[in-house]
Amino acid sequence: MSDKDTKRYLPEGKYIMMGNVAMAEGALAAGLNFFGGYPITPSTEVIEHLAKRLPEVGGTCLQMEDELASINAVMGASLAGAKAMTATSGPGLSLMVETISMAANLEIPFVFCDVQRVGPGSHGPVTAPHHNDIGLVRFAGHGEFQVIALAPMNCQELFDLTITAFNFAETYRCPVFILSDAYLGHIHEPVYVPSKEEVIKRVIMRELPQDYSKIYSYKDNDTGAYVIPKPPIIGTDYYPPTALQLPHTTQGLPTSNILSFMEILIEKVKSNIDKISLTEEYRLEDADIVIIAYGLPVRASYRAVDEARDMGIKVGVFRLITVWPFPDEKVREVVENCKAIIIPELNYTGFIAEQVERVKKPETPMTKIPKVGVFHHPDDILNVIKEVSK
Amino acid sequence: MSRYEVRIVGYGGQGVITLSKMIINASSLYGNLAATQTEAYGSSARGGRCWAEVVIELDKNIKSIDYPKAMEPYDFLVVLSEEAAKNVKPDNLKKDENTGYLIWDTSTIQSFRAAKQIDKAIGIPIQRIAVEVFNNMVFGNSILFGVFTSLSKIFSEQSAIETIKKFVPSATINQNLEAFELGKQEAEKFLIKLKEAAN
Repeated sequence: MSDKDTKRYLPEGKYIMMGNVAMAEGALAAGLNFFGGYPITPSTEVIEHLAKRLPEVGGTCLQMEDELASINAVMGASLAGAKAMTATSGPGLSLMVETISMAANLEIPFVFCDVQRVGPGSHGPVTAPHHNDIGLVRFAGHGEFQVIALAPMNCQELFDLTITAFNFAETYRCPVFILSDAYLGHIHEPVYVPSKEEVIKRVIMRELPQDYSKIYSYKDNDTGAYVIPKPPIIGTDYYPPTALQLPHTTQGLPTSNILSFMEILIEKVKSNIDKISLTEEYRLEDADIVIIAYGLPVRASYRAVDEARDMGIKVGVFRLITVWPFPDEKVREVVENCKAIIIPELNYTGFIAEQVERVKKPETPMTKIPKVGVFHHPDDILNVIKEVSK
Repeated sequence: MSRYEVRIVGYGGQGVITLSKMIINASSLYGNLAATQTEAYGSSARGGRCWAEVVIELDKNIKSIDYPKAMEPYDFLVVLSEEAAKNVKPDNLKKDENTGYLIWDTSTIQSFRAAKQIDKAIGIPIQRIAVEVFNNMVFGNSILFGVFTSLSKIFSEQSAIETIKKFVPSATINQNLEAFELGKQEAEKFLIKLKEAAN
């Protein structure tokens, strides 16, 4: 084992880590070897930590001149075979969307850490949490494609789900977002790091395929399944003949069949929703009231549910770990027979509430609990539970 | 479920955040309890009004903290600046036995009205002791950590010592352990006084 390998994997054990650092270490464990970014509060510790750690493991951490250059560097590195990532916050994300479209179109795998803060704008309460990019990441870019977005809620998950995010990026070749926020990014919590052997077992490495004739995803006409080949690597024989941002065939040649091209970019992900959609159920068994939450508000929801249960109110939480793609069927099933739905979100819009609205029965009442800048206290949720249970 | 809620307030640079990190290390890394630490970020951590919180789950069977912020009433409050002292109310602290402690620094806070109404309030000239004994303000942190360890009793002294060794430059370990010991002694004196008052 080389020295660089030893340094990549932290010795097995428990560490007290800041959220942003846990995310960076998760990326290293997943095999990250290129980071391109431009510092922005509240994500800065990610680039700060990787500036120290990546060179130790033979990787590269580049602070670019701006966000545009950062995301383009990440795309270039990924095309050249690196596991690549960037980290930013809302204002940086909005500058990067053009290249995200290109990455989706060319199926370049990469991981995008979005440490969300109060928006809009580049000033103001930049260190307060606000889940305002939930909508933006869903449709980040021109063209049509499906992204994956994961919402961790503690430092352990920032580590674990970053590995999952890289695996999703390798497998589905679509933009994969980790939705953190200003609060979660700066929390310190214990993180258990598994042994090197365990970590390696979890990670899907970048490798060349067996069949070089198919480079981009396609629909198998015999089975109807969407096939996602391994990503090409510039400098090998498995090289994309074109890397044009055009609707293209599996060989990368331009096609006029745009509809089926869009279908492939979306369905290659959606047809795998059972594998991609990670969820968690908390005390839902006999619940009349269902709370649907993701990220930080889940923690306050769990506590509120415990307190409400002590009062004899039948309430539980359905947690979305994977926010996008939204699991229509699962949510429909969960809310089908409930008497009320409560959705605490760290934004005014209620991006997930809009999705739930689509799948719930029209007569089932739904209460949103919006918060911006400060996050939900368990009592904020408990009061609504008591209200709707009357 | 038994959460132990700790809040530390003062100015950035006084060691507010360091103390909170020492508490989470001692209780979670060495003491094996679930814990979450949160802190002020940005300019406030660099000289402005600064705060940090630690929530520790004393029940070993519970593996994670749900709500990450410390909830009032607190089990433990550390107040290091006059400005922060103004916002403290007696109701901020729990009234139960062996909890609801307030530590404040009498060398940085001239008057602290609420402290007079809190039974378990311990005022110690932390900065002054640090400068007089060790010729450096930074040792105040280990004094505070000593007081916290003795009063809270949520982690062992061994866990506390391991934490100090992890946090301080190796050349200053012995001095920091002395400072820790001083803090412990202050806490023990205070506990005896409390007992006498109760009798």
